[in-house]
Amino acid sequence: MPRTSHSSPQTLRLFAALLGDPARWRYGYDLSRETGLASGTLYPILMRLSAQRLLDTDWEPSDEPGRPPRHTYRLTADGMALAQDRLAAAARKARGAAAFTPREA
Amino acid sequence: MRRAARAVLVVAVRGRRERGGPWGEAVLAEFDRTNGRWEALRWAAGGLRAVWHERRARVSGLPRAVRVQRAVAITAVLGLPASLVINQFALTGRYMPTTAMAPTVPVAGRFLLDKVGFRVTGIERGDIIEFPIPDVPDDHTLKRVVGLPGDTIECRDGRVYRDGTALDEPYLAGDPQISRTVDCGGPVTVPAGELYVLGDHRTVSRDSRQWGPIPQRSVYGRLLTVIWPLR
Repeated sequence: MPRTSHSSPQTLRLFAALLGDPARWRYGYDLSRETGLASGTLYPILMRLSAQRLLDTDWEPSDEPGRPPRHTYRLTADGMALAQDRLAAAARKARGAAAFTPREA
Repeated sequence: MRRAARAVLVVAVRGRRERGGPWGEAVLAEFDRTNGRWEALRWAAGGLRAVWHERRARVSGLPRAVRVQRAVAITAVLGLPASLVINQFALTGRYMPTTAMAPTVPVAGRFLLDKVGFRVTGIERGDIIEFPIPDVPDDHTLKRVVGLPGDTIECRDGRVYRDGTALDEPYLAGDPQISRTVDCGGPVTVPAGELYVLGDHRTVSRDSRQWGPIPQRSVYGRLLTVIWPLR
């Protein structure tokens, strides 16, 4: 059976975090704190989502002078639909596994 | 520690350029938000992975010809020193200048010499080894191990006896002019740490019959296979 794309536990955690407030632009460091994903896991997922136009990216000038601008992220409409779909599928699967009881012979 | 982690990340992201790729710069910009040295280290380490991913994506977007060119260049640059090291320390080709190991290794034949394997597996009877000629130490020679420490070697009626039993030597030439073993002197018991060696061309080979057993320490390599002539 082929695997469904964008359904790894790490990606689902990121989806959940991004869907928390979908309109807000998010920072990489804050997403890392919220999801518990290390930068080496988080950024490759962000790159993949962005390359597939599921994620909007932007640069925001830093609030403190002398600091470099920060990269910010937000799900696109497609990304939001996909994220909701994948999270719902994962929830269904978890419920299904919990409800499963072997039939008596 | 934080400064060192940041410096490594900067080099990884930017290299010699003014600015790195957008994702590398993004990781770098967030670095200052981390608290404490461990979080900074973790962030930088993950950042290296992110940079590697970004780089791989960029490279796979390049035209095929450029990717092939780069692969060839990298292989050449890394492969040349690697092959020099292997040739020097592990595996090398050799030319057989004499007829003393015929017919197993014919004169003017070429063979592969394994300089490492015998140090792991030990030397066994029947192995063909290279070592310096005892009376001309600058030159190496190739002979077959006939006796290990503790074996008593002698020859009678043209045949070799180990501990009183005649050896079956299928690797010798059929022609007794070549394969008769004579002039062994009296029975020799091989001392600890030494080897009794004979060339396969018994009538021309100079070997332990003249030199006595040779020190195991001096063994330089073991014949892996004959590569020329093809057979």
